Amino acid sequence: MNVTTEQMRRERIDRGIKVRSDGLYALMSWRELSYLMTPRTILIVGMLCLPLLMPGAYWQRVMSIVCIYAFLAVGFDFLAHYVGLVSLGGAFFIGVGGYFSAILNTTFGLPPLVAIPMATIAGAVLSTILLLPCLPLRGVYFAIVTLMYPLFAARLIEAFDMLGGTDGIMGLDSFPNPMLEQYFIIGMLLMMLFAMRRLVNTDLGLVFRAVKDNDQAVRASAMNVTFYKALAVFIGSLMGCLAGACLAHIYMWSGISQFALDFSILPIAATVIGGSGTLVGPLIGCLILVPASELLRDFGTLRIAFYSLILVGFIVFRSDGIMSWGQRKYEQFERWKKI
Amino acid sequence: MLEASGMMVFYENMLALNNISMNCESDQIVGVFGANSAGKSTLMYALSGIILDIKKKELMAGGERITVAGDVLFDGKALTGVKPSKRAKMGIVLCPERRRIFKESTVLENLKIGGYLASPAKARDTLEFVFSVFPVLDKLKKRIGGFLSGGEQQMLAIGRALMAQPKILLLDEPLLGLSPLMQAMLIRSTRDIRDQKKISIIITEQYARPVLPIVDYAYVLENGSAVLEGTRNDLMDNPDVRAAYFGI
Repeated sequence: MNVTTEQMRRERIDRGIKVRSDGLYALMSWRELSYLMTPRTILIVGMLCLPLLMPGAYWQRVMSIVCIYAFLAVGFDFLAHYVGLVSLGGAFFIGVGGYFSAILNTTFGLPPLVAIPMATIAGAVLSTILLLPCLPLRGVYFAIVTLMYPLFAARLIEAFDMLGGTDGIMGLDSFPNPMLEQYFIIGMLLMMLFAMRRLVNTDLGLVFRAVKDNDQAVRASAMNVTFYKALAVFIGSLMGCLAGACLAHIYMWSGISQFALDFSILPIAATVIGGSGTLVGPLIGCLILVPASELLRDFGTLRIAFYSLILVGFIVFRSDGIMSWGQRKYEQFERWKKI
Repeated sequence: MLEASGMMVFYENMLALNNISMNCESDQIVGVFGANSAGKSTLMYALSGIILDIKKKELMAGGERITVAGDVLFDGKALTGVKPSKRAKMGIVLCPERRRIFKESTVLENLKIGGYLASPAKARDTLEFVFSVFPVLDKLKKRIGGFLSGGEQQMLAIGRALMAQPKILLLDEPLLGLSPLMQAMLIRSTRDIRDQKKISIIITEQYARPVLPIVDYAYVLENGSAVLEGTRNDLMDNPDVRAAYFGI
């Protein structure tokens, strides 16, 4: 026989305040209330202060772009981690939303604040209908097909020279003023974010997660998997199309570069960095990645190399993402304990 | 031959294995019995080292923290921290729960993958041996693994484990979901394997009755602790065991 060494293990325990504030009792004490409210308040107030804190119009514009990507990233996170549809078609949603808004604005003369919501809903409906045939696909196959959609749309527009062809649709109205633009986008983003967080905890969200887990079991429970998948795609593309419509009005232009691969890939990277399956994580990821890529612009093409390095580092060393890590630190503490 | 002492495994704060000490001599069949969640599979993972792999994956994904403590000795050598692949090379081969065969490969390919580390001559010999123990597999050589029945898949899984030239074979619930006839057949084959190949076998099962006749020594796990141990006859005579695990 040999000696068994005294060993220690690190124990992870929920903080008392976390446990106390789980239930309704949280409403009875300011401490518990503030424990619950602090992270949310920081997020909301932080986001609302962002435009004011930015040094100039350039960085304010960057913040708008951050939010555009955040829409896509939250939508991607929702589709991938709550419904199991890994969609690489973010650019498709952007393009569809952008073109819809452009047409509504230039052809029908609707003001941006009317055109954007209409374009969002119309774009989401169109995206859902177009994606309907691919819904039986799962995993990597769905990813491949959705990746093809934006490329396909761009080539179609180019080949048939429709919707302004390669020039795109120009002369869109911009937002009435830059501050309104910022706050409209940030407000919509926060609203969407909290709505999503609520949605995934409802019964409908339960069905979505069940579809991800085991769609055969869902089918066996007499639920129409395709319908729920279509609904999820509609919700996901709603976010993407809203982002696209806003983007078109920010740039006062809508063209085939809105189907660019960037819009498909960057949100995924942001989701990985921020923490997949947390919904807030992707927003945080965008807040890091988009400004980082702006700052790295000075390095020219080396930018991509740095960018990849950051991404690889995160995947290797913190693959659970910033948000999951932060959440654990906030809710639990650790201590060494003798076995 | 294989000796574990003070094995503790924590899944986060849950104690899955509580101070388990067990011993398997050479050419012995050792049974490990227990209900669901008793810790049988965890014990198998701990012995074969797979637990280290799971631990690493959980760590990477930020999941639950797995703590493993205690010592495993194999032929007198301490195995603490040795990778599962290395342990397999040393001769500790796990035949995992629910078979885990390669569903898209044929029977023959499955077996060949198992024998990847063995020398060609040895692999050929073992292949013949596997076919002699499980003649059914010989007939199904070209069949895709996923299309086999449960019993055939189990035979294939055991065969694949044998191809890795084990000195000690860990069978994790080999009788899961099989008919009594198939169970009896597999148990007979297990004994044959031990007798002909001179290897030790540790076999876990929920229901002890079909397995007990062939085991030399057995442990009964309950909620992660070994509550009983003894030779076959000791356990046979124990009224508690008879009631709990034989349904007599």
